Amino acid sequence: MDLRHQLELFPDCSVTLLLFNHVKNAAALRKKAMEGSMEGALINPAMIVDPFQILVAANKAVHLHKIGKMKTRTLYAEIIFSLSPNNNISDAFKKFGISDSDTAVLIVLIVDREKTVNLEDIASQVEGQQVSLDELPQLTDTAKVKKMYKVTPQEEKIGTLLDSIVCRMSTKDVL
Amino acid sequence: AEAGGAGPVVAEAEAEAPPPPLPGLQLVQQGAEARIYRGLFLGRAAVAKLRIPKRYRHPALEERLSRRRTAQEARSLLRCRRAGISAPVVYFVDYVTNSIYLEDIVDSITVQDHINSVQRSGSDTSSLLILAEKMGELLARMHDEDLIHGDLTTSNILLRPPTEKLDLVLIDFGLSFISGLPEDKGVDLYVLEKAFLSTHPDTETVFKALLKAYAATSKKSGPVIKRLDEVRLRGRKRSMIG
Repeated sequence: MDLRHQLELFPDCSVTLLLFNHVKNAAALRKKAMEGSMEGALINPAMIVDPFQILVAANKAVHLHKIGKMKTRTLYAEIIFSLSPNNNISDAFKKFGISDSDTAVLIVLIVDREKTVNLEDIASQVEGQQVSLDELPQLTDTAKVKKMYKVTPQEEKIGTLLDSIVCRMSTKDVL
Repeated sequence: AEAGGAGPVVAEAEAEAPPPPLPGLQLVQQGAEARIYRGLFLGRAAVAKLRIPKRYRHPALEERLSRRRTAQEARSLLRCRRAGISAPVVYFVDYVTNSIYLEDIVDSITVQDHINSVQRSGSDTSSLLILAEKMGELLARMHDEDLIHGDLTTSNILLRPPTEKLDLVLIDFGLSFISGLPEDKGVDLYVLEKAFLSTHPDTETVFKALLKAYAATSKKSGPVIKRLDEVRLRGRKRSMIG
């Protein structure tokens, strides 16, 4: 049900994605995440078009974490920030993090080889139904995503929405 | 004694950036600037470009130059895509090793290889005229964005499969820069012309078709073609600064 991918460049780190729908306690979850009492990056699935988008963000976040060059304070905050096409941290949290009224939540975990993370433990804190990542496209708000990433009409002709998004994510700090 | 002799040589090679641990890793090309690998990155077919450090350069200069080329490449690729010009998607830029991980255009062939195979098979070169038109159009759109490629050759333009569709992709923007000057655009075309005519014999008509399409597509082509004619008369490009 969940999706797992070992980062090629950081083999001791694996990214795990968990998707939940019909979530009733988004507010409580958000509070826990902010307090740091819950493991994982809590992301609004409406802004995600494909798990690859998360992998690109996670890869970048882990890279920056390893060289001590993160822009935010924690690895999970950095993942959320990496999703944003701009360099405004609070805007990134607002748009890509979950809000109290959300009914779907995507949880991203980075699992270190030495540590074991209890997925059931995390899943049990969510008052909602865990669903397969295959259902992600149904939860995506394409219009909102296009607007957020400022995708141009010419761009849509030469590639997918995901291509445009990934490009912006990976090159935002060079501009 | 032989093992001892081999030791220092091996250590020298290993001091450079090791190949990235990507599944299905293959070394595609070893150029002067970078080593190019193919492999799976985050589950996708990717190309990893690892810059080769030049030990004869002062380390501070080397670092700065390497960083600048990597950044320019990333910036230019984004600029292309935003303008609807086909170029690989950037997956990850590593500013520590100045490596860049990009989309691999699977089963693509370079325009160079395509032209060679068309010529070798004795096929009708009129198909090359259409290819030239497409190239001219693509370069015109690139220059209209004030993007100078910097290293235009037929091996830096790819054809997506199936080849017949003539779906072109520009690659290798390591020497690219932004400029609106007709001089820079003229030189960009001149570099391509030299590379084109020296690599592919008897293709003068093909390149002419390319320039015709360029002139027809670009709104600012007049001064550019004029400069191109001037650069041709000068011989090799001279950067007359100062």
